[in-house]
Amino acid sequence: MREPVWEFLIVNYLFLGGLSAGLYFASALATWIQEDGRSAYPRIARWGALLAPWPVSLGSALLVLDLGKPMRFWKIFFHFRWRSPMSIGSWLLVAFTFLSLAYLWSWLEQDERQSLQARIPGKIRKRIPARVQRWLDLDASLWRRNLAMLGFPIAVGVGIYTGVLLGAVQARPFWNTNLVAQMFLFSALSSGTAALVVARLMDREPVELKEMRFLYSMDITLIVLELFIVLPYLIHGELSSLAVKEALAQVLGGPFTIVFWLFFMGIGLLLPLAIELYEFKPVILGKGTFHIQPRWALTAGGLVLFGGYMLRYIFVFAGQATGFR
Amino acid sequence: MATKSVKTAQRYAMVIDAKKCINCKACVVACKAENQVPLGVFRNWIDEETSGEYPHLRMSFDPEQCHHCADPSCVRVCPTGASWQREDGIVLVNEDDCIGCKYCIIACPYDARYHNPETHTVGKCTFCSHRVDRGELPACVETCPSKVRVFGDLNDPKSQLHQLLATRRYEVKNPQTGNGPQLYYLL
Repeated sequence: MREPVWEFLIVNYLFLGGLSAGLYFASALATWIQEDGRSAYPRIARWGALLAPWPVSLGSALLVLDLGKPMRFWKIFFHFRWRSPMSIGSWLLVAFTFLSLAYLWSWLEQDERQSLQARIPGKIRKRIPARVQRWLDLDASLWRRNLAMLGFPIAVGVGIYTGVLLGAVQARPFWNTNLVAQMFLFSALSSGTAALVVARLMDREPVELKEMRFLYSMDITLIVLELFIVLPYLIHGELSSLAVKEALAQVLGGPFTIVFWLFFMGIGLLLPLAIELYEFKPVILGKGTFHIQPRWALTAGGLVLFGGYMLRYIFVFAGQATGFR
Repeated sequence: MATKSVKTAQRYAMVIDAKKCINCKACVVACKAENQVPLGVFRNWIDEETSGEYPHLRMSFDPEQCHHCADPSCVRVCPTGASWQREDGIVLVNEDDCIGCKYCIIACPYDARYHNPETHTVGKCTFCSHRVDRGELPACVETCPSKVRVFGDLNDPKSQLHQLLATRRYEVKNPQTGNGPQLYYLL
């Protein structure tokens, strides 16, 4: 089989892009849900907003670096090819990055905005037109919910695009099933949620029970959805045509078997699910009281992130080893 | 009034009579020389396959290259349009627009594309379009000593290619990809 042409830069991008989409999605949900006319989970929403733009920006930079001709990346934006997932995805990435930056801005407090602006060297600051200056001083906190709603479809788009990029290639049977896009989407949203669990627990302000309830119920739902995608992916694949069956052999006895079952399914999906379910048991059963054990929550969050990375690693490399010959 | 000859559109394709192939690789060398293909990458190659058990052995050689598909997935996935298809079916890469994302390499079911280590863009068989446009044959076709390859216009009933396809049984490789490959292997 041929050597892979997409390697770790692409794995990292797929992970980081998905992570940002998940962060934005979870944060937007936390913003959107209201209690007494205010965001119900303001600290979660704020953490998500502060973190969301960065992984995707780093990921996009890696994408450019992976090009044979990085200095030509702009050409993508001067030829719109609607049948190319990469062309559509590039526009989505740009739209999402700008939107997530605007969303971040809306979550900054006035003193934070001002101290950020104070960091701009005086020479440049003096040149900024008064109109833009006023704009930067604007309190955008009222737009948070609107930005959150506007961002839902775009964040979902970025999350699902990472899967579509691979799935829309009929030459690679490992990818070319109608389940890969959803698998990547749910994995992306789950890793964003897990990152928020980790971020919220590292926060100086002690975490509230209702915040953890929100994050846990979301992550458990997403992991279960992911399981409902991964298992049919394997079972239907085994019952599919020879090319698909041969492709699946990569993770069923082939070189990626251990990585897939141990590192992705075991440590990266089922183990965090078990930890979260165990922690969440009092809420599900309605018996006992829900405690937070930061150590367990941090472990579960970290493992979900690890599993998300493994999924992308397996798919990028195993997929390229498959074909029709 | 002089009658104008109406030229029907051309559709170039290739017939491969693999049974005649002796694996001399003259086509590979001719292509390398003609197109200055860098070391380590190839626009065409010969697949070898051994089957059977001693002493009943059989070895077959299948010349391979870009299939210049009717609906090429490499062209579809290209984000800049650098991968494109001429009216006559030849699939080309416009090197000036290629950003080297390698998506087309992944999207090709025939693994016919490569990343050029010198230009960092994508390269592939061009059916020697520069020669075809001068009325010559692709280098691999011209050089083949056992006349495995027949290049021609599918829409020209007088062409040898057309006649071979009309009279012989043939197959295309992996039609299930939906790409509509245009390399016809005689049976």
